[in-house]
Amino acid sequence: MKKNDEFYVSYIEGSLGEKTKNRLKKFVFAAILFIVGAALVFALSQKEFKNSSFELSSDTKIIGIYHENPYPMLRVQLAENTYKNVLLLGFGKLSVNPYLKELKSEVGDLNGKKISIEGNLIYYNGKTLIQITDKEKVFLEAQTAFNIPKNELLSEMTLEGEVVDPKCYFGVMKPGNGKIHRSCAVLCISGGIPPVLVATDANNLSEYYLLTDIKGNPIHKDILPFVGKPSEIKGVVEKNEDWYTFKIDVSNIKLLDTPSNIYYDISMQ
Amino acid sequence: MGLSYKVVLWNNYKKNYDKIIVLGMLIYLVAFAVLTVVLNPETTVETLILRAFGSLAIVMLHIILVIGPLCRLDSKFLPILYNRRHLGVSMFIAALVHGVFAIIQFHSLGNVNPIYAVFTSNMDYGSLTNFPFQVLGFLALLILFVMASTSHDFFLGNLSAKVWKRLHMMVYIAYALIISHVFLGAFQQETSPFTIGILILGFLIVALLHLVAAYKERKVDVENTVEKEGWLEVCKISEIEEDRAKIFTIANERVAIFKYDGKLSAINNVCKHQGGPLGEGKIIDGCVTCPWHGYQYLPHNGQSPPPFTEKVATYQLKVADEMVYIHQEAFEEGTEVEPCNY
Repeated sequence: MKKNDEFYVSYIEGSLGEKTKNRLKKFVFAAILFIVGAALVFALSQKEFKNSSFELSSDTKIIGIYHENPYPMLRVQLAENTYKNVLLLGFGKLSVNPYLKELKSEVGDLNGKKISIEGNLIYYNGKTLIQITDKEKVFLEAQTAFNIPKNELLSEMTLEGEVVDPKCYFGVMKPGNGKIHRSCAVLCISGGIPPVLVATDANNLSEYYLLTDIKGNPIHKDILPFVGKPSEIKGVVEKNEDWYTFKIDVSNIKLLDTPSNIYYDISMQ
Repeated sequence: MGLSYKVVLWNNYKKNYDKIIVLGMLIYLVAFAVLTVVLNPETTVETLILRAFGSLAIVMLHIILVIGPLCRLDSKFLPILYNRRHLGVSMFIAALVHGVFAIIQFHSLGNVNPIYAVFTSNMDYGSLTNFPFQVLGFLALLILFVMASTSHDFFLGNLSAKVWKRLHMMVYIAYALIISHVFLGAFQQETSPFTIGILILGFLIVALLHLVAAYKERKVDVENTVEKEGWLEVCKISEIEEDRAKIFTIANERVAIFKYDGKLSAINNVCKHQGGPLGEGKIIDGCVTCPWHGYQYLPHNGQSPPPFTEKVATYQLKVADEMVYIHQEAFEEGTEVEPCNY
């Protein structure tokens, strides 16, 4: 240790000598410099955030035709012959089904029925979802059952992408994908949020596919080992207006040993 | 030194120390938040809080870890060590904000208990790149919690300095867990060479300072002593400064030999408070005074002056031909030994 004739004792007034004081000042200056430098490095190195939205503090009322494809959706008319299917979600990391249970027990089959829902909108890149937080804000608007367009069979396809939970991906969290978010996505999907495959093409344009089993039934638990990891998935693609459905056999999913493309496409969308 | 426990024994130095800690934390948080919001207006408050407090905790941990070796290399840094506990508790608070927010954000409001979810929502424990990094952060936070909650002198007194010191050496396990948490988590997705670089540089500085300090101290542990009829020849009288000490390793124990008022006395080098090096202290008002927190011992019996009760072991010395000799066997803590006149 370097020789120091000064000796600081906290309870002895004036024992903090000049040389020690100067050293402390230099240390504090260096520490502040390090703090400012680290703040610059950590803040400036963050990847760009998506321009997705989650209207947590404001409720929006939407009216449309309820249908399950196989996940609960509301077909909302935007203009003449123009419709948008809004994916319905529960509060937190849970399914919407508990919020619809009461109405279903009163009405029976809700498919094709016109209902109104008040909740928090989530939207990004052309897709809209709504979080319902109160079962008292779901109303039947008309007893009449309306026709819902059938799924249009497109083709068998092999797609590469990442399985995400759409609630976080389309707005609740930033980032709502990848390694950091994986545990959350697993909890969301196991809690009843529909799994969605985000596939990005060579031009960095993303498309979204609601995943079902090969018979078109909802899948949750079986897809969990593949959530948040780049994967290659084979299946049959169907289209229902603005949403694709991808019927898959989870035993055919191949994990890819690559970083997910969707890590890099955010700024391009 | 104290006979009773208070939450904090405030003095002006501690107040100024804490003001600088708060100022440093605010500078970091404001700089991080302003830059993030200006350059990335699409950010969310939750992500901002998580990242700001998580990165602040890491920055503070690096500052904390360099204080120890800096003090061993140059005693002018010792006043920073004096109140390091407040810096440690502040760092824990920053880490706690990050950890609690992460658990609320990523693991709560689901169909299982949030803490259970931390351990089970990702079961890829066998994979390095897919490893559940949250578990590492959670374990580090537990260690920091144990350290922060036992940082008070009450626990020092009741756990003993040895147990307390061992407990607080776990900061190195926490550091390893935190670095792994960041490299297996955030750095798998936010792959900037600058953030990775700053943490690698931080690790190298911390490791290098510890190695240099250990190398310098190694000299004390391998100091050549010559045994003559049960006595060890240690040094010349003139090698010890007045009111100061020289440290030697005798039978695997560090011993401080003090020179004062024409006398020599030897006591165990380890302070009973926090394990501070008494041999780097000074004789003040006739007492050996620890350089870390000013705990005092009488050199001829190793006892703290009444009413204090701390005691350290004493040793017998003799002088012949200007050379100092020490007997290898330590006396019971607090045993009176006639100082060696020269």
